[in-house]
Amino acid sequence: MDAAIAWGIEAARRLGLNYAFLADAYDRASFVHGAWVTVQLVVCTLAGSLAAGVAMAALLTSRRPLLAGATRAFVEVTRNTPTLVQLYCAFLVLNMLITHALQDAQRSNPLTPFLWVVVVLSLHKGVFHAEALRAGIEAVPRVTLEAAASLGFDRRTLLWRVQLPLAVRFALPALVNNSVDLVKATAVASAIAVGDITYASIMIWTQRDNVLELMVLLLLFFGLLTWVVSQAGNWLELRLRMPGYGDR
Amino acid sequence: MATADSTVRGVPAWPRAGRFAGLLWLLPLVAVALAATRHPDLARALGSAWQWSPALLRGFLVNVGVSLLAIALGTAGGLLVGALRLSPLALLWRPAQLYVQVFRNAPWLVLIYFSTYVFPFEVNIGSHIVPFPDWLKVVLGLALPASANVAEVLRGSVQSIPLTQWEAASSMAFSRWQILRLIVGPQCVRRMLPPWMNLYATLTMSTALASLVGVHDLLDTAQIASNTVNQTAFTVLIYFIVLAMFFAWCYPISRFTRFLEQKHAVA
Amino acid sequence: MLLPEHSGGPVLSAVPTPAPLVALRDVHLAFGGNAVLKGIDLEVRRGQAVSIIGPSGSGKSTILRCITGLLAPQQGTVTVGGVAVRELRSEAERIALRKRVGFVFQQYNLFPHLTVLQNLAIAPVRVLGRGRAEAEATAIELLRKVRLADKASAYPGELSGGQQQRVAIARALAMEPELILFDEVTSALDPETVGEVLTVIGDLVAEGLTCLLVTHEMRFAEEISDEVYFTESGRIVEHGPARRIFSEPRSERTRAFLNRALGAAPRVAADPFVFSFDKLRFAV
Repeated sequence: MDAAIAWGIEAARRLGLNYAFLADAYDRASFVHGAWVTVQLVVCTLAGSLAAGVAMAALLTSRRPLLAGATRAFVEVTRNTPTLVQLYCAFLVLNMLITHALQDAQRSNPLTPFLWVVVVLSLHKGVFHAEALRAGIEAVPRVTLEAAASLGFDRRTLLWRVQLPLAVRFALPALVNNSVDLVKATAVASAIAVGDITYASIMIWTQRDNVLELMVLLLLFFGLLTWVVSQAGNWLELRLRMPGYGDR
Repeated sequence: MATADSTVRGVPAWPRAGRFAGLLWLLPLVAVALAATRHPDLARALGSAWQWSPALLRGFLVNVGVSLLAIALGTAGGLLVGALRLSPLALLWRPAQLYVQVFRNAPWLVLIYFSTYVFPFEVNIGSHIVPFPDWLKVVLGLALPASANVAEVLRGSVQSIPLTQWEAASSMAFSRWQILRLIVGPQCVRRMLPPWMNLYATLTMSTALASLVGVHDLLDTAQIASNTVNQTAFTVLIYFIVLAMFFAWCYPISRFTRFLEQKHAVA
Repeated sequence: MLLPEHSGGPVLSAVPTPAPLVALRDVHLAFGGNAVLKGIDLEVRRGQAVSIIGPSGSGKSTILRCITGLLAPQQGTVTVGGVAVRELRSEAERIALRKRVGFVFQQYNLFPHLTVLQNLAIAPVRVLGRGRAEAEATAIELLRKVRLADKASAYPGELSGGQQQRVAIARALAMEPELILFDEVTSALDPETVGEVLTVIGDLVAEGLTCLLVTHEMRFAEEISDEVYFTESGRIVEHGPARRIFSEPRSERTRAFLNRALGAAPRVAADPFVFSFDKLRFAV
């Protein structure tokens, strides 16, 4: 293993690229760990954002105007402010307040920066998922719903068996796009020192000054992650496709 | 259409922002003002915030300036790359596609770091040494993904024009260039406008990342202020002010974009 | 209805006229200021096939939608099998109504994410509570009836318009309704496929299906209907037995409409031989 790495570093050196950090056990370990943290971030935020998206879509279509209105206000604020600022508000402000409050109660704050990133990103992307689901819901033709009603479906059956399956199929491309954006957005975790791959890279290049080399690795890594997510999306689209629909 | 007033409703409609929703922001302002009369440290924090407001505004101007420059460069570059992408020559569209793939799949933060470190500290132009300011590096770093996105928006809008338009136009003996300029082009521009405005809004929000590479933008100013004043109430206040300022800029853009989308959805 | 008098002896019991299955009385309906139905009186008896004809925008489809409760009239009564539709408040009551009345729409009413077989089986399983195997067996039978048994595992998107409509008719039949409403079911189809759908409907009527059709297919309406209603501008201008309406319309407006629609002067003579000869000549 070490021999292969040494060979790789030598080959890169001939091209003028300095990958010597990979030979150093500590640096290599922190880089690999950073990659692992990023993968964990991606998995958690993907799940979290989909859950948040469905929840927000449900809240937005709730019959209680206060609930729908409050969610709508939250949606607008989250969509129109930078993720980084939201992260700071959550981590530097809310977290600090929670820590103070817990200190008074002689307890320590169990909420990690990782958790805050997951929460903030899930809510931020959840909003976009909710928008995509809304577009999907509105794309279900009114006549199809009337046909289901004419067959005697009650509201719940109509929702679960006809409207939602069709809405999800219509919304799927947008949901996959949002998920790809989400993978890229996880880089912001480095701003609060979460130790993801971006943060690890920054630590390494400030010492070794090999920004370009690390940039190549970072781009390859994120390219790989986004490729995996979009492939998963393609597979899902294939499984849920409606043959013949939209071919006209 | 007989289904207009149908009693069949699956999921009720999304709540539409009322015309007066834009004035909802007055509510938190009033709430804060009222709370300040009761809590002296909040009042003090408000006072400090007022003192810092010119600096904050200057910082926000940096954000806005960066976003405008980045969208301008990104649009110019993106239209070029997009045109190449649509070319039938493999020699032209393959590199363009690679460019689009690379810069659309890269995190914007990584690209900002990249441009900050790659570009030199200062540049020799003739006999003068011109400093290469940080904000300019951020502009270039953001213009790259912006151009890739504009290229995709262009491609999407051209492909969304039905083939029948091309066929009808060419049967009227228009050349390919004329069709692009007179028939397909204007329709494309209309379709490109909403996603382009979305891109601008996203770009503006991404300018906050500039604070991580040392640009003295709004967020950086807020951090400095928070460290200087060193009061809990002030820290809380200042970050929410930052949130509010970005919101005040991006929300009207978002509303206008939605208005444009609805107006042209009928077309 | 009394029988002719006997000379003495008790009068045999009168044969009561059965109440109509569907009855609309003085129905008025307006959409946001536009009056669409201006006092409609209509009846459909069990076993009858009734057609509604008339120019576009005369409110024909609206009448059908009132019967299943998809639209609510402002005034008048709509009764189906003795149940006043306007009085239905709860969803359960509306669903009970829709189990008895089938509806076939003009277009795109099949569920695109389910196969043909699943489209037919889903309502009997979910609404009527039938077992899946039983529902699917019935579905195959119905598909055979509409001559689409080989398409059971195809998706709606893979079928032609005419095939989709035949599946839609089979799906309505799967609920075993007392009455089926057909809302211009051939208007969105290519001329070649119109015939296959009309054949299916003709077969069902011959088997005794109670139905109410809104259609532009005049010859078809004449052939299979017992009663015909002619509407114009939200009012019933004329109604009566099909043969009479098409051959001797009493109203000038009916005559004008039939002229335009059929492109020939309505027959004046009631000679049956001439009648069928004309039908043969103009048959699709």
